[in-house]
Amino acid sequence: MIVLLALVVLGTLLVGTLFAAMLDRSHLSIVAFFARQRVETEAPDRLNRDLAPAWYLTLAGAGLSVVPFAPGLALIDSPVGIVIWGSCEALVIVTVFLHGWSPNAPFPLIGAYRYAAIGLPVMLPSMFVLIAAALPAESLSLIAIVESQREIWNVIRQPLGLPLFLIVALAMTLRGPMDYADAADIATGTSAEASGAGRALWQTARLAMLVSVSAIAATVFLGGPLGPLLPGPVWLWLKTAALMALIVLLGNRIARTTPSRMMWILWVVLLPLSFLHLLISGLVAL
Amino acid sequence: MMSLSRLMSRAPAPVFPAIGPGRQADVERLLSRSGLRAAATPRDAAILLVAGDIPGTAAAPLARVHDQIPRPRVTVSWGHDEPDAIAARIAEAWREVCAGGEGEGDRLPDEPPNKWKGVGPNGQGGKGMMGGVPYGRPMAMTGPDIRDGLQLDRYTARFGPFAPMLPPGLVLEVTLQGDVICDVTVETQPFAQPADADAPDLCAARMLRLLGLAGPADRATAGKKPRGVWMRGAVPGGLGSVDGAGDARDRLSRWLSGTPVTASVPDIPALLKGAEWSEAMLILASLPPSAILRACQTPEAA
Repeated sequence: MIVLLALVVLGTLLVGTLFAAMLDRSHLSIVAFFARQRVETEAPDRLNRDLAPAWYLTLAGAGLSVVPFAPGLALIDSPVGIVIWGSCEALVIVTVFLHGWSPNAPFPLIGAYRYAAIGLPVMLPSMFVLIAAALPAESLSLIAIVESQREIWNVIRQPLGLPLFLIVALAMTLRGPMDYADAADIATGTSAEASGAGRALWQTARLAMLVSVSAIAATVFLGGPLGPLLPGPVWLWLKTAALMALIVLLGNRIARTTPSRMMWILWVVLLPLSFLHLLISGLVAL
Repeated sequence: MMSLSRLMSRAPAPVFPAIGPGRQADVERLLSRSGLRAAATPRDAAILLVAGDIPGTAAAPLARVHDQIPRPRVTVSWGHDEPDAIAARIAEAWREVCAGGEGEGDRLPDEPPNKWKGVGPNGQGGKGMMGGVPYGRPMAMTGPDIRDGLQLDRYTARFGPFAPMLPPGLVLEVTLQGDVICDVTVETQPFAQPADADAPDLCAARMLRLLGLAGPADRATAGKKPRGVWMRGAVPGGLGSVDGAGDARDRLSRWLSGTPVTASVPDIPALLKGAEWSEAMLILASLPPSAILRACQTPEAA
């Protein structure tokens, strides 16, 4: 059973990444760049340069491993699944920072610091939103959170949850309005010196994280594998795919403001909003 | 392997443009076509598009940009051909790149600008723990933050003349603390561009790209309505105010509604000093290229 579940997780990650690349219309470019030369910068941190995309991919896989593919059935049936996902989120900030740190060049480093500065206030609302979703389930386990949505999905019970989590998803996948690491004004920032297979692998990892974050959002807010007629995994795949398309669309359409203004929005508007969301969700769950 | 190279060549051709005098509008319109992709960094490109006659002063930077493109690479020079002919030549160059092979060699010797060999018995070269130029590499030195006087590292570097976020030809020497601009001087003025570079659709597209909206920017360049959310609102109010032309947000609004903007001669260093890097790039993109050129030609800025 464990082997089967591990295969399902890997298969979902693989097929999902391919689907994400199609949505992003970057699949051919990524293939083309795997075959191109990888240029060395002067005195790079080689270890972290190679580890950063690997970490990013690993975190996407780790996040997906706690997602239940059928009611009561996850590869890692942890009583604290939400916390495991939360640590994946926090480690993404470290990974993106290392990606910008390692080439030893100004633009990547600016991108790395920007992302670290934006990442902290993004993680805080994320934690409040996920804890709010755990309240009606009275558990931090994702399996219990799915069970708690048998009658009504969290997206309806806690209407602010999914919109707030989509902002987190955009930040975790370095997309559109929350892409402060790889912005155009710093020549794609942390990726400015990345070339060849290294660049392609980083883009692949970014798309893999899109699968993972969408699967978590589908589990926490859209009832995960719950649904009539079709088997559980199919419902999860459908919901994940719909959220991936939504996140790509939002990333392509919404403008990105300057980092200092986004900091203000995050600390002054979104953080209190997520407090309020937690308070309301707590009162409703009583 | 044959099929792999054919699959690769169906990807949009990644082009890094080196834009010369008078060719900014042509290049921007060309690269918004489907089948071509404007690379934001030479590392992301396979084809160097050299448009127009690059002046001798920019020859060395052009050679450096050329050598920064991963191999195999191809240079396409755009003299006075029709855009369709150039698009076809780029497509052919991309097929050539995807088929493999050596491509063009380096134009400059592949060695560091300064040897990894210092002065003194231990070869350290610097003074104390900070600053100085150890091994010929300038190190950051602390200085007062221009906003609150806190002692922070200052780093001076040159940007341009082919930096994709700056007007073509402009070289700025910038002293940064983090990404806050403490000091900026215009080293070389931008290349002269005819009035078509001031076209509202192109000006709006430049700002939209900085806002992370590459797709809507391409639509704007193609004469369609850009489909973006919060386009005006994302530009902070009061940014880059210029007498008679409002702030950056006002200018974007006018460009999006198809109205040209004529700005008086702005004081570029004064506008950029104290701004964060992303704000400074938005300010520069929010000024018509002709206004930036006039500003850099005035004696104060030189």
